[in-house]
Amino acid sequence: MSFIGQAWRRFMFLLRRGQMDRELAEEMRQHAALTAEKNIASGMDPEEAQYAAQRQIGNVTRQMEESRQSWGFPFVESVIQDMHYSLRGLRKSPGFTTVAMLTLALGIGASTAIFSIVNTVLLRPLPFKDSSRLVHVWTVSTMFPEFTLGQSIPNLQDIEARSHSFETLATYELHERNLTGSGEPEQLRTAEVSSSFLTLFGVRPVVGRDFRPEDEQRKDGDVVLLSYGLWQRRFGGDASIVGKAIMLGQSPWTVAGILPPGFPFPANVDALVPRNIPPGNLRERQAWMYMTLGKLRPDVPLAAAQVEMNGIAAALARQYPQDATGIQFPLVTIQDDRTRRGKPQLLALLGAVGFLLLIACANVSNLVLSRGLRRQREIAVRAALGASRRRILRQLLIESLLLAMAGGVAGAALAIAGVRLFRALAPAGFPRIEELRTEPLTLLIALIISALAGILCGLAPALTITRGDLNLPVKDNSAASSAPVHLFSLRSCLVVAEVALALILLTGSALMAQSMVRLMRADTGLTTDHLLTGELTLPKALYDSKDSQHLFLERLLQALQAQPQFSGAVLTNTPLLTGSVTVSSFDPAVFGSNEKKTTLQIRSVTPGYFSTLGIRIQRGRTFNERDRTGTLSVALINETMARRFFPGQDPLGKEFKLGDDDKTSSQIVGVVADTRDSGLNAPPRLQAYFPILQNPSERVHILVRSSLDPAAAIAAVQRAVWSVDKDLPLSKTRTMGEIISESVAEPRFRTWLLSIFAAAGLTLTLIGIYGVISYSVRQRTREMGIRIALGAQSGSLLGLVLRQAIILAVTGAVCGVIGSLLLMRLLASQLFEIKPGDPVTLIGAVLLMMIVALAASWIPARRATKVDPMIALRYE
Amino acid sequence: MVRTAGKNELLPGTLEMLILQTLKNGRRHGYGIAQRIQEMSDDVLQVEEGSLYPALQRLLVKGWVKAEWGTSENNRRARYYTLTPGGRKELGAEAENFDRIIAAIARVMRTA
Repeated sequence: MSFIGQAWRRFMFLLRRGQMDRELAEEMRQHAALTAEKNIASGMDPEEAQYAAQRQIGNVTRQMEESRQSWGFPFVESVIQDMHYSLRGLRKSPGFTTVAMLTLALGIGASTAIFSIVNTVLLRPLPFKDSSRLVHVWTVSTMFPEFTLGQSIPNLQDIEARSHSFETLATYELHERNLTGSGEPEQLRTAEVSSSFLTLFGVRPVVGRDFRPEDEQRKDGDVVLLSYGLWQRRFGGDASIVGKAIMLGQSPWTVAGILPPGFPFPANVDALVPRNIPPGNLRERQAWMYMTLGKLRPDVPLAAAQVEMNGIAAALARQYPQDATGIQFPLVTIQDDRTRRGKPQLLALLGAVGFLLLIACANVSNLVLSRGLRRQREIAVRAALGASRRRILRQLLIESLLLAMAGGVAGAALAIAGVRLFRALAPAGFPRIEELRTEPLTLLIALIISALAGILCGLAPALTITRGDLNLPVKDNSAASSAPVHLFSLRSCLVVAEVALALILLTGSALMAQSMVRLMRADTGLTTDHLLTGELTLPKALYDSKDSQHLFLERLLQALQAQPQFSGAVLTNTPLLTGSVTVSSFDPAVFGSNEKKTTLQIRSVTPGYFSTLGIRIQRGRTFNERDRTGTLSVALINETMARRFFPGQDPLGKEFKLGDDDKTSSQIVGVVADTRDSGLNAPPRLQAYFPILQNPSERVHILVRSSLDPAAAIAAVQRAVWSVDKDLPLSKTRTMGEIISESVAEPRFRTWLLSIFAAAGLTLTLIGIYGVISYSVRQRTREMGIRIALGAQSGSLLGLVLRQAIILAVTGAVCGVIGSLLLMRLLASQLFEIKPGDPVTLIGAVLLMMIVALAASWIPARRATKVDPMIALRYE
Repeated sequence: MVRTAGKNELLPGTLEMLILQTLKNGRRHGYGIAQRIQEMSDDVLQVEEGSLYPALQRLLVKGWVKAEWGTSENNRRARYYTLTPGGRKELGAEAENFDRIIAAIARVMRTA
C-alpha cells in the first residue's frame, strides 16, 4: 500500500514539477531572508548579513537538483535521458542508423511473418470445440502398408463396445454427388456421416435439425444438411428450403437443416448426408472404408487411449486371425493430421528465417561494434565524468534496443505485407491458409523478436567496448592502433558465424532448387502436351448397374471421338498426376511366387489410352474394341510387375485376380512401359490395367488431346457429355500442364521462399565481410603506408588484405559445411532425387561463398593499395 | 546532513527523525525546523540548510509530512510542514529504535 501511495505521490509531484520547483525556490529564499534577519539581529551589518546567509545555505542549484530527485522516478528519468541521448546519437549518424535498421527490419520482418504463419497453421488450436480431444481412429493393415484406412463396421462396433476412452465416435466417407434441378448441374463434395457426427464437433445446425439415428435407416426418406456456403450460393440463404427436396444424384433429398458458417470438417464439404450401411458391410471385417473420428474423454490422455486401442487391435487379431491379423488402430489428433502436410516445410522456413535473423543480428552487432570503437574516446570522457560502467553499458544497450525497435516497426510492416503475400501465393490446399491474417499477435511477436535482436546485437559490442580501462583512450591519442583483425576477435567471430549461417541457408535453398529442377524434369513416361482433363460422377440412382454404366461410357466415348477437334479422347477411372491412386490387394501366390500379399495399383482405361498418352507397348497387344463385357477378361501389366514376378519368363497368357474378388480372373495380354501416373515424385509401382468396358466405374475421368484453346475444348467436352446425359456436370476441368504445375506448387513455393531468404542472407554476409575488411584496412592505414614506403607492391598488399578475408570465409565455410551436413538431413523428406549431403551442391555453395567474400573485400583491398604513405603516416 | 558542533556526522536517517520530532507538537516552516533542532540540542546539532530541503522533499514523497503555505508570525509567506498520521507512526517507531541503539551504545561505552 505505502509503495503504491508513494508512487502516486511521486507521480503527482512529477506532474506539478514546475510549481514544486517555484515553491521550493521561494521557500529557500525565505529561509535565506530569515537567516539574514537573525544575522542582523546579532549585530551584523545588513549587506554582510545577506552574504553570510547565502554562504550558509550553500549551493542552491545543487540542493534543488537533489530535492527534485525525490519527486519523479529517477531511474525512469535516467532511462529516458539515455534514450534521448541515444536518439541524438543515432540521428547524428544517419548512414549507420539506416543500414542497421534496414538489416534488422529484414531479419525481424521475415521471422515475424514466418513465425506468425507457424503459429496460425501449426500451433493455434483448430476452431472446433475441444479440438485437442478430437482424434482420427485409423486402421493400418499390413495389406496396405502405406495407407491409412478407415474402420470396418464390425471392428468399429468392437471398438465402441470395448474401449472406455471415447465420449463419442463418428464416421464419415467422402463422395461426390451431382446437384441438379435449378441452375447448371454441379458436382458437390458430400460426406456420408453417422448421426453422431455433429455432436462430436459440438455443433448444431443454424436452421433445421441435426441427423437422428433413424436417419441412417432412411426411415423418413433421404435427408441432407447443406453447408452454409452452398445454402447462400445456390439457394440465396432462403430458410424455407428446409423441409423441401433437392435433387442430389438424380434422386430427391429433403433438406433437414443448414450447417453453421465455416463448419470446417471435412474440408470444403458442401453437404452432409446420413450414412447408410449396406448389409454386406455390417459383416465384412476388412471393409475399412468408414473414416472414423473419436472425441476423447476429458480425463483420458492420447497416449492412454492409444494403449487401449493397441490392446483392442491385438485382441481382435487373436479373435479373427483371418481378417484382423496385423491391424493397428493409430490415433492422430485432427490438428496433427491437418497440419501434417505443411509442417516440414514450415519448420524448414522457420529455420531459414531464424538463420537470417541471426545473420542480420551479427551484421548489426558488427556495425555497432565498429561505431562503438570509434566512440571510445567519447565513452572514456563519460566515464571520466563519473558515469559507471553499468550506466554506460545500459546506455549502449538502450541504443541498440532503440535501433532494434525502429527495425522492428519497419519489420512489422514487412511482416504484415509478407503474411499477405504468403496467403496470396501459397499453393492451393495449404493447411489453414484461410485463417491467416494480420493480428495483434503478429505485432507482439515482432516486438519480442525485436527486443531479443536488440539485446543480441547490442550486448557483445557493449561489453567489448566498455571492457578494460575506460580511461586509456583519453590518454592514448592514437585511437586507431595498428593491430590487425585477429581471428578470434569478436568482429571476426561474428563474420565467421555469418558466413557459416549463410552457407547453410545457401545449401538448403540450392538443394531445394535442384530437387525442384529434377522434379520438373522427371520423366513420367506420359505424353501430356495439349491434354485436357475433366471428371464425371455417375449418379447411383440412374446408373445402378454395370450395364447402364457400360452403355454410358460407350456413348460418351463415341460422342467425344465424333468431335473432329480432338485428336485423341480416352476415359479412365483414376485421375492422372494428382497423387490419387486406385489400389487393390493382390496375392502373388497365383504366379507361383512365395511373396507376401501386396498391393497393386490398378487403372481401368479405354483402348486408346496407351497410344494417346504415348505409353510404349513392350510385349503383346493393347486393349481393343472387343475387350468388353462378355468377352475374355484381359489385363495389361507394367514393366515393374513383369520383372518382379516373371523374371526371364513370358507373362503373356498368365492369369491373375485381384484381392478377394474371386469372380473373375484376368488374362495378361501385354506388358507396357512404367509410368509415374500418380505423381511426378512417385516412383513406378506394381501396376495393372483393365479395359474400362469390362470394369465400368461410376467415377469417370475424361482425357482429350486438342489444339483448341482450353476454354473452347472444355466447352466441347461438356457439350459431348450433355449430349449423352444433360444432367451430368463436368468438374475439375484443367489442362494437364496446370495439373503438373499444381502438383509441384508446394515445392516450388518453398524453393522460392528459401531462395529469397538465402539471397538475403548472402547479401547481408557480403555487407558484413565488407564492413569488417574495410574497418581493418582503415585500422591498418599506417601499416600499409609503411609497407608502401618500404617498397611493397600493390599486388602483395592486395594479397595481404584478401588473405585475411579468405581466412575468415574459409573458417566460416568449414563451420557452415559441418552445419549443413548435420542440418540438411532434416530436409531429406522434402528432396527429390538428391541427397542432403550432395557434394556438388556443397562445393558449389562454398565456391559461391568464396566469390562473395572476395567481392566484398575487393574494394577495401584496393583502397589499401592506394594509401599515400605520407598521408598514412600523418594519419591520426 | 546534520553536523554536531565538532563537525562529526550523525548516523544516516537521523535528520529525518529529528525533523519529524520537531513537528510533533505542531506545524513549522523549514527555517523554524532548523532553528528548533539547534535550540533543543543547545546548539550542539546544526542543520545544514543544504540537506534540510532535500530531506523535506523525501518526507513529502514518503507521505510522512504535509506542506501548506501560510503566513508566519512576522507576516511573511512561509511553507508550513505538518506531521501526517503515517509520519507520527514512523516517528514512534524510529524513536523506539533510536532509544534502543542509544541504550546499547551507552552500555558498550560504560563497560568496554
